[in-house]
Amino acid sequence: MNTKQLALIKKDIRGITSNKQVFMVMLIVPLALTIVLPSILVFVTALVPDAASDFQALLNMLPITEREGNQDQIILRLVLNKIMPAFFLMIPIMASSVMAASSFVGEKEKHTLETLLYSPLSLKQLFQSKILAGFSVGMMVSFISFAAMMIVLEIEMLFLTGAGIMPDISWLIVMLLIAPAISLVAIGITVRGSAKAQTIEEAQQRAVFLIFPIIALVIGQFTGVILVSTWLLLGMGVVLALLAALLMKGAVGKFTYEKLLR
Amino acid sequence: MRAVLLENLSKTYTGGNKAVDDISFSLEQGEVFGFLGPNGAGKTTTIKLLCGMLTPSNGCCRVFDLDPAQNPEKLHQLSGVITEHAQMYDHLSGLENLIFYGTLFGMNLSDCEKRATALLERLNLIDARQRKLSAYSTGMRQRLSLARAMIHSPKILFLDEPTSGLDPESAQNVNILIQELAARGTTIFLCTHQLRYAQEICTTYGLINKGSLLATGNIEELRTMVSSKVKVRLKASLIPDGMAYQKAGEHTYDITVGSEDEIPLIVKGIVGAGGDVYHVSAERMSLEEIYFSLIDMNNGKMEGGNL
Repeated sequence: MNTKQLALIKKDIRGITSNKQVFMVMLIVPLALTIVLPSILVFVTALVPDAASDFQALLNMLPITEREGNQDQIILRLVLNKIMPAFFLMIPIMASSVMAASSFVGEKEKHTLETLLYSPLSLKQLFQSKILAGFSVGMMVSFISFAAMMIVLEIEMLFLTGAGIMPDISWLIVMLLIAPAISLVAIGITVRGSAKAQTIEEAQQRAVFLIFPIIALVIGQFTGVILVSTWLLLGMGVVLALLAALLMKGAVGKFTYEKLLR
Repeated sequence: MRAVLLENLSKTYTGGNKAVDDISFSLEQGEVFGFLGPNGAGKTTTIKLLCGMLTPSNGCCRVFDLDPAQNPEKLHQLSGVITEHAQMYDHLSGLENLIFYGTLFGMNLSDCEKRATALLERLNLIDARQRKLSAYSTGMRQRLSLARAMIHSPKILFLDEPTSGLDPESAQNVNILIQELAARGTTIFLCTHQLRYAQEICTTYGLINKGSLLATGNIEELRTMVSSKVKVRLKASLIPDGMAYQKAGEHTYDITVGSEDEIPLIVKGIVGAGGDVYHVSAERMSLEEIYFSLIDMNNGKMEGGNL
């Protein structure tokens, strides 16, 4: 990484944060997923008596070993550690693909890509910088969302149930393995499609397909087909990391100046 | 070392469109080379080949002894490029844009700021330096593009229509700047449709049409290729019998001669016949006339070839 690449990364990050329309898209989804959704579950669990009895029936069916605290606390721990991780994975996908689409195809759309190609950065360095910019924003939004979710949940839990809530090991796997890997996969897919795509929206659409397995995971959990366990998350993380490595390797070598300017 | 060298350079795009067809010429350092031709003639393709953006289908080209297809990054460090599609960032100010591109060329921040400020001053953009590019007019953007191409003091500038969108005053300012750069040894490769503008600043020319190079050389060499004849405009009270002329107005005549040496003989002939001469000027073919003659000659040749 040299100063030329750092300059490009900084410019790309500034470009996305100064574009209110794109930046709002990147913020609204994480905000809805990490603050609004868990808060609704917390309020429903703590304040609606009938809901608690429904959840009790669910708890009896689940293979949960940790049953410390009252029923509300157990339910909310279940929500945080088993349901939220799957939802959370949409954040790095969305943030990274929006950023990657904007920084690759956005440059093409605004006729600034050609100017960059006339710089003394090699195509490889150019791609590395753009991938890193997308990855940094994806991770930044993910970590901020996680921190915001934990702060809001802790406050709500303390007020409503009188006890705090702790994330378990699944969050460690999500934050340090799955989120970075899925972020790189989303960037890889967006970048690979960026030579053909002519608009930002077109490039983003390719990464949206990644959301389908996540939705399947969420539905699987709610219908009782799958339960997010540490082992399942670890396995997912390893597969995604391998896929990311393959996509990155293929994405950079695929381009020539001529293909990019088409 | 030649600044630019093209040897039998050809480019055929996917689909079979032959944009550049077997062209060869070379440029010395410090030349202001005007590459002229109608739309779709192959000018921009040639620039892209010389900058390493396209790979030649046949032949080769070198810029300061670098092969653009093999060493594009090294070449980009030595060159500045303006094309219609090489735009800058609307969300950054003029100064920020220049600083960003300066850092991409490996300049440190303080050098970038100094150089950017000097260029903005030189191109009359200093008052707009903090303004976002989105608020710039077409002419201001074009001048900023020139500043961007020059930020790293390149050895060669590839300029595709650098004065398009500029008012006459700004265009003149850009002309002076280009001539100053050439005087300091920067080679200029200039593509333009504006032939009068090219004649003002270029030292040598290349004329291209439908991918083929029609002619290269300085204006005298190009004139000789088209016609060595000189048109003399005279205002005289009479024209002696036997002297071939075309009437251009009241007592104004155009006479075509083989060279300027024949002008004194014409004047002597009129005076000797008892006439008075009020005005004599030798009109030489302008670049525009040479250009159209060459294009017509080429089109005639192509049509003849097709028959």
